[in-house]
Amino acid sequence: MIQPQTLLNVADNSGAQELMCIRIIGTGNHRYAHIGDVIVAVIKEAVPNMPLERSEIIRAVIVRTCKELKRDNGMIIRYDDNAAVIIDQEGNPKGTRIFGAIARELRQLNFTKIVSLAPEVL
Amino acid sequence: MLRTLRHLFSSGQRPRPQFLELWNPLGLLCTASAMEKRGSLELEEVQKVLCDVKADDVRVIHVGDQCDWTDHIVIATGRSSWHVKNIAQALLHKAKQKQKGADHMILPFVEGLVGGKWVVIDSGTVIVHALDEKAREYYDLESHLSKERTPKGSIQDLEKAFVKVRPINNSKKKPAKVVE
Repeated sequence: MIQPQTLLNVADNSGAQELMCIRIIGTGNHRYAHIGDVIVAVIKEAVPNMPLERSEIIRAVIVRTCKELKRDNGMIIRYDDNAAVIIDQEGNPKGTRIFGAIARELRQLNFTKIVSLAPEVL
Repeated sequence: MLRTLRHLFSSGQRPRPQFLELWNPLGLLCTASAMEKRGSLELEEVQKVLCDVKADDVRVIHVGDQCDWTDHIVIATGRSSWHVKNIAQALLHKAKQKQKGADHMILPFVEGLVGGKWVVIDSGTVIVHALDEKAREYYDLESHLSKERTPKGSIQDLEKAFVKVRPINNSKKKPAKVVE
């Protein structure tokens, strides 16, 4: 359940460390974003000497949420943190590697690039 | 499901040992081939199309035993963004041609066709990554994919852990009938 003002971790090596959601894209009037939704976010914390800087506005796709994700077969997936991967306007990830486990629903939502960079797919 | 079975056997692919029991206790499907029926492109066809459109540096990585969401990953380089887009179009055209006349056409999912830097054609068991030279150098997919991943052993351990052991109650069991 990601809404504007939510702080998220960054699950890639793009150089940003913490994001704050400021808008959810494509959901119209919906209040919350879930796994696989694209958000507009601002970088709150960044590693020095990397291309991304603090207070930059970027797009990101949510890959992990504390709110559980339900599958049709009854399986429930929930993570310890809220995390997102930074993408550009075309959907290419900004970083080259992704950390942590990723749900396979992202592939159905056409984020195959992120899934293929991930070390583990749940 | 039957079609997939027949399809696999006819293409001479080695059936996996656990092929017939598709569901493991975790509720995941064991084979990607059974789960994803998005398109119908085969590995040989993909290789032929990539050869026809002159994609450079084609590399095939078999990941069937390492990750369970796909079987083969093909990486190819295009010389420009036009070339990369054309690789995707050619593969789509091939998929369409193959299913000509079918009343329900299943096309592979294509991602990134607008930019043309990195296009992914996802047809279930085969995933084709077409990148331009810069993107290929930047993302360096080969080293990531060919790296040894955590094998499926971890899931098999869980299988043992989740199996319920129910004690057999013999007291209420009727004695076996004696055959006269």
